[in-house]
Parts: sequence; C-alpha cells; structure tokens
Amino acid sequence: MAPTIRTEHLSVSYHRTPVLHQISLEAAGGEVLALIGPSGCGKSTFLRALNRLVEETPGARVEGRVYLGNMNIYAPSVDVTQLRRRVGMVFQAPNPFPFSIFDNVAYGPRLHGVTDAGELRRIVERSLQEAALWDEVRGKLRRPALTLSGGQQQRLCIARALAVDPEVLLLDEPTAALDPLSTEKIEELIANLRGRYTIVMVTHNLRQAARISDRTAFFAEGRLVEVGWTRQMFTAPQDPRTEQYLTGRYQP
Amino acid sequence: MHHLAFFVMLGAVLVMAGLLLDVVREGLPHLTWQFLTSAPKERGEGGGIGPEIVNTIVMVGGAMIVTAPLGLLVGMSQVEWRPPHAVVSVFDQVRATWLSIPSVVLGFLVYRVAIAWWHWPLSVVTGVLALCVMNWPMMVSVAVTALRNVPATYREASWALGATRSQTVRRVVLPAALGELINGWGWAMARLAGESAALIMTAGLNVSTHWSAWGPGETLAVYIWYVRTEGYGARGSGVAAATALTLMLLIALILWVSGRLSDWRQHPGR
Amino acid sequence: MRDQQREKVIQSVTWGLGGIFVLLGFGLMAMVLVGAWPTLAEPHALARLLSPTWDPMRDQWGLLPFLLGTAVVTCLALAIVVPLALATGISISRMLPWSLRPQAVRLLAALTAIPSVVFGWWGLETVVPAVRILGGQAGFSLLAAAIVLALMLWPTLGFLFAEALMKVPRSYVEASAALGASDDQTLVRILIPSAWPQLMNAFLVAVARGLGETVAVQMVIGGQVAMPAGLLSPGATLTTQLLTDATLFPPGTRGHAALDAMALALLAAMGLLVRLSARWQGQP
Repeated sequence: MAPTIRTEHLSVSYHRTPVLHQISLEAAGGEVLALIGPSGCGKSTFLRALNRLVEETPGARVEGRVYLGNMNIYAPSVDVTQLRRRVGMVFQAPNPFPFSIFDNVAYGPRLHGVTDAGELRRIVERSLQEAALWDEVRGKLRRPALTLSGGQQQRLCIARALAVDPEVLLLDEPTAALDPLSTEKIEELIANLRGRYTIVMVTHNLRQAARISDRTAFFAEGRLVEVGWTRQMFTAPQDPRTEQYLTGRYQP
Repeated sequence: MHHLAFFVMLGAVLVMAGLLLDVVREGLPHLTWQFLTSAPKERGEGGGIGPEIVNTIVMVGGAMIVTAPLGLLVGMSQVEWRPPHAVVSVFDQVRATWLSIPSVVLGFLVYRVAIAWWHWPLSVVTGVLALCVMNWPMMVSVAVTALRNVPATYREASWALGATRSQTVRRVVLPAALGELINGWGWAMARLAGESAALIMTAGLNVSTHWSAWGPGETLAVYIWYVRTEGYGARGSGVAAATALTLMLLIALILWVSGRLSDWRQHPGR
Repeated sequence: MRDQQREKVIQSVTWGLGGIFVLLGFGLMAMVLVGAWPTLAEPHALARLLSPTWDPMRDQWGLLPFLLGTAVVTCLALAIVVPLALATGISISRMLPWSLRPQAVRLLAALTAIPSVVFGWWGLETVVPAVRILGGQAGFSLLAAAIVLALMLWPTLGFLFAEALMKVPRSYVEASAALGASDDQTLVRILIPSAWPQLMNAFLVAVARGLGETVAVQMVIGGQVAMPAGLLSPGATLTTQLLTDATLFPPGTRGHAALDAMALALLAAMGLLVRLSARWQGQP
C-alpha cells in the first residue's frame, strides 16, 4: 500500500528570501493530489522539498517537517539516496540522459546495485510497460533516448522513475512541454498509476487537475490557500481567491 | 562597405595562403622517409628530425597525461562540488590570470626552479614540467566549460533517482561532457605541440643519440627556431620548412582525430 | 551512511586539489614579484627601471627599450590586424553563402593552431627581405615584427569577430531590415552595437596574445637593446629579451632580477587585461 506523505509547517527560503510559508498538507496513500496556483507561488519548491532535492540549490533553507509514512525525512539519520529511491520525480521538460533507452531506465537500478543482466532487462521491460511506452520502443532499446519524440521522452522519464520501485511519484508539470495528444497519453498513464503510487502533481492546466486528481491544493504567494476534493473545489471553492483564480480573475 | 570588407578579407586570405604555400614549396622536397627518421646533422647532407618527432610526441603526451586528470578534478571541484560563491570567483580569477601569463614567463620560472635551484638538466622531463605548468590552467578551463555546459536537468534527474554526487558525476555528467572534453584536449595538445619559447629554456636545443627522459629534449617547434636563428648550414631554410610542414601535419592529425572522436561522442549513430 | 562518508572524502580530495591549484597560481605570481624585488626596493627604482640604457657590463638595467618595443610592436600589429579581422568577421557572418559559413569559421579556427614559430620562419623568408628592400636597412625591425604578429593574430581575431557577429539574434537583423535599413545600416547600427561586448573581449584576447608572443617576434625583430630609432630600426620586446637573456644571468644576480621585472611588467599588463575582460563580461 502506498504511504501517505504529509508536511507540517514546512517553510523554505532561498538566500533568506522566503518562498514557502508554513505549509501543512497531506497526500493520502494512493491518491492523486494536484497543486495549482499562479507562477512563482512555490508549488515547484514544495514538490522539491518532498524529496529533499531543494537542498541541492545553493542558499536553500528548509524548516518544518515532512513525513513519509511515519518517518520524518529531514531527520539527521535519514539517508537521502534511500529517500529519493522511495520518492520518484518527473520534471517539467523531458530530461532523458544522452544514453540509450535501455540505459536510461536501467540507470536507477544500476545505481542501487543491480548488475544481473536478466534482472535489469526484466526491470526495464516492466517499467516501460507500466509507463505505456513498451509497445513503441520494443526492439529499439539500444537507440539513443534523444531520438524519441517529446511525449515518448516524458514517458521514458516516468519509466525511469518507476524502475527504482518508488512509493511516491512527484510530477512537476509533466505535460507543460508536450502537444495535446502526448498530454492525453500521459494523463491516461497517471490515471492508471493511481492507487499503486501516491502522486503529487504540479500543473498549470486547471482542466488537467480537474480531470485526473482526487484532491486539489491551491497555492498563492508561498501559502496554501485551500485544499479539498477536486470536484468540490472546482464547483464550490471556499476561498474567494481560489474562485478568482479558477475563473481567471486572480490578481496577486 | 560589405564589398570592401570582402576584398580586405581576400587580401588577408591570400597572404595566409602564400605562407602555407611557401612552407609546402620549400619543405616538401626535403620531406623524405630518411628525413623523418634520422637524427639532425649540423653540417653536410642527410640530417633529419626523427628524435624531434619522438620528443614532441612524448612531451606533449606526458604533459597531457599529467594535467588532463588534474585539470578535470580541479574543474569538478568548482562545478560539481560547488564551494561558496566567493571561492569560485577567486578561483576563476586565478585561472584567468594564470592562463594569461605568457609562456616565456612560465618557462623562465620553471628554468629558475627546476634548473637553477634543483639542478635538473635541460631535458625531456624539465620540458614536460614546463608544459604542465602551461597546460594545467588550460585543462581546468576546458573541464569547467565542458561541465558547465552539461544541462542542470541531467544532474537533477540523477539525484532524484537517489544517486549521490559522485555517482552522478561519474555516470551522467562525465559521459555527457566527454565529447566537449575531447575537443578541448585536442586544441590544448595542438597548442603544446607548437610551443617553443618555454621549451627553449627548459628542454634544450639538441637531442642525444640514446633517448632518455633526462636527455636533451628538443622538439619540432624548437628545432625550427634553432635552425633559423642559431644554427648554420646553407639548407637551413628548407630544413626548417620541412620541419614546419611535419609539425603542422602532426597538429592537423591531432585536431582531426580529436574532432572525429568528439563528434562521435556528441552525435552517436551518425 | 558509508555512502555519505565516501562522498565527503571525494569532495575533500577535489577541493584539496582546487586549493593546490589556486595556491600554485598565487605562487607563480609571488615568485615573479619576489624575484623582481631587488630592482623595486632600491632608491629611485622607477627612474632606473624606466631608463633607456640596458647595459649589463655597466650595471645599467633600464627597461624602456623593451617596454617601448612591446608597446610599439603590439599597437602596430593591432592597427594592422583589427581592420583585417573585422572585414573577415563581417564577410563570413554576412556575405558568404550560408552553407560556407561553418566551414569558413572552422578553417579560421584550424589556422589558429599554426605554431608561432612557423610565422617567425615566414617572417624571415618574406617580411624581412621586403622591409629591407623598402627601407634600405637590415630588414630586421619593429615593423617586420608587427607585420608577422599581425598575420599571426589574424585567424584568432577573425574567428572571434565572426563568432561574435554570428551570435547576434537573427530577429534583430530581420527587424532592422523590415524597417527598411540597408545592409550597411544594419551592420553599423544593429550588429556591431549588439555584439560590442564580445567584440571588445575578442580584441582583448588579441592584445594579450600580442603582448605575450615571443618567438615569432624574436626571430624578425633584430634583438637590439638600444632605444629603437624608428619603425625600420631593429629593437627588442619584453618577451624577446626574456627569451634571449633567461639563461645568461643566474638567479641572485641583478640581471636575473631585471628579467623578473620584465616578467612583472608583462604580468601587470595581463592582469589589467583580465580585469577589463571580466568587466566586459559583466562581472565585477
């Protein structure tokens, strides 16, 4: 069963400039939580705080707690590399490595010590199937990943994330750089992954949030304004700012 | 104005072509197998540049083997294990300043330390030391540029999969940067092969019949200089041209091979 | 946990090497400064260093002939090469057919790899005799050195100018042309101003290479240590004198310190260029 991921009073600042204030938010095991809000509201930073990738940015400071299941991931005893195995991430623009398709997917398992060729092949095939890319790349696994189309590259990145058996998936605007057809495929894929993984997804596309998420959280200016069931929030938002945003009238 | 520019460029091109033609015209008649393999002679007929070719290859290779890894590691220290901003800025200034020091000054310093203080002989080893002092900042710059050109998203994707910094560097960043590194290394080797000022003071102006690392280490570029300034012999100019032609072909070969390797790394499957 | 310890070790090793690199860089500069100290610490140091007489037998170590030689040769070479290189950059980036541009740039880049000693050889073959015929003197001269240096700098500067002009976004050129500007107007009003920082940087690179060049200049300049009488007279520069005298005066002698003073002058000039170039790149 996929674990919940929960933040308590999470604040992040870059070079003493605060970008996130006291966020307390929970994604329940197996659900799809969408994060929406205007550009620069801190959604992406929030996502990067969930796998501690934010710490790789010079000058970043994190306060508060993040629980994966019941483990505080910012506790000093936590091994970051182990944490990131459990929390996979897919980025805004497809970013496959300049290797072959196979080596891209096998990258994570190899890092974590899988060397057996048969085992690697099984993992790669399973991950590509899960990411709905297998049928398109079967027999072409040795081709450079950069020869794939943008949409295929993004599904490859999802397969790469799935190959290390994560429990949580963080998606940072995964369809922002894609055409409508590829977007549809990715959305279908996310719908299929729901239940097996806890998914937190940043999106600029409100319809997308409405289509595929269970719950939605609205961020503005580094604060969590409102969180609730997606259907409820899109039909009857509680906060006036949410309503303004959903109807395109939000002024920060 | 554009047309004027074109004719001015044509003038410069013609002069440069004249230079290249001169080298070929004067050098080609001397360029025999015997010339390429035998030792130089001060007087009479039949001298060659065999030992100089060996010295050039050995010394450039030696300097690269020492400084390429050192430069790569120092470059990684600044790009992959980024120290605070102030440190990087001091580092960049030292690198730029060192890179700007004329090779004759570096040769002079190496001469003072290695030859005057440590009593090393004018030799292949001393020459390699001088080339290393010249080449280290170059290697660091090549590494810094190549590493900075690797998209940050590659690193993020790798970290997000649970890779450590050194795993990311070894498995993602270096493979992605290798094409550019090879290209930079090729240009650095071309520069080292053409160096003469620093080597005149540190590697000496002659060769010995029995090659040794502590023996004198005249290179092709130094030999051209020697033959045309200090040496004598009626055939001086032709011998110098033939040596220049050999050196330029060697440099062209280095650049061609490194360019090919680099292209192949950057666009596999082409 | 073991992973984290290994990471710390690797980081320490690379940082340690980086530290050694920086220390060695400072060490090289310190060596020049310390070596030149005896000439700087004596009374009337500046007046003695700037004196026009270099006469080791009479303990006279004036650097003026070499400072002047370096300044004249470099300035004259730049005066020749800048128009040539600018013309080259403009022709490549604006006039050659599109398909030939990358090849032309690659060709120029390849020419930059020609060793400077080859230019020195060519100077002896061609330039020195030509100056001899024109000027009636020996031919070994500041003028010959400047011409050789100019041809040597041409591929580098032409390459950098072409790159700088080709980096200007096409949309600027198109916008200017769409407003009815002629090619020349677009060049003068749009291309050159937009590429100005890169053009200046390329120029500084050429200055640095010119100041530091040794053998190509040394082979044709004549090596006279007296004050040059004119462009057709032989002379010497800081680098050429350093090359010819380096092994003449052992460390500890006044002559050696004077050579360090020459090196220091070169280093100071280079340091200034590095600072200027950093300013053009928008760094403090």
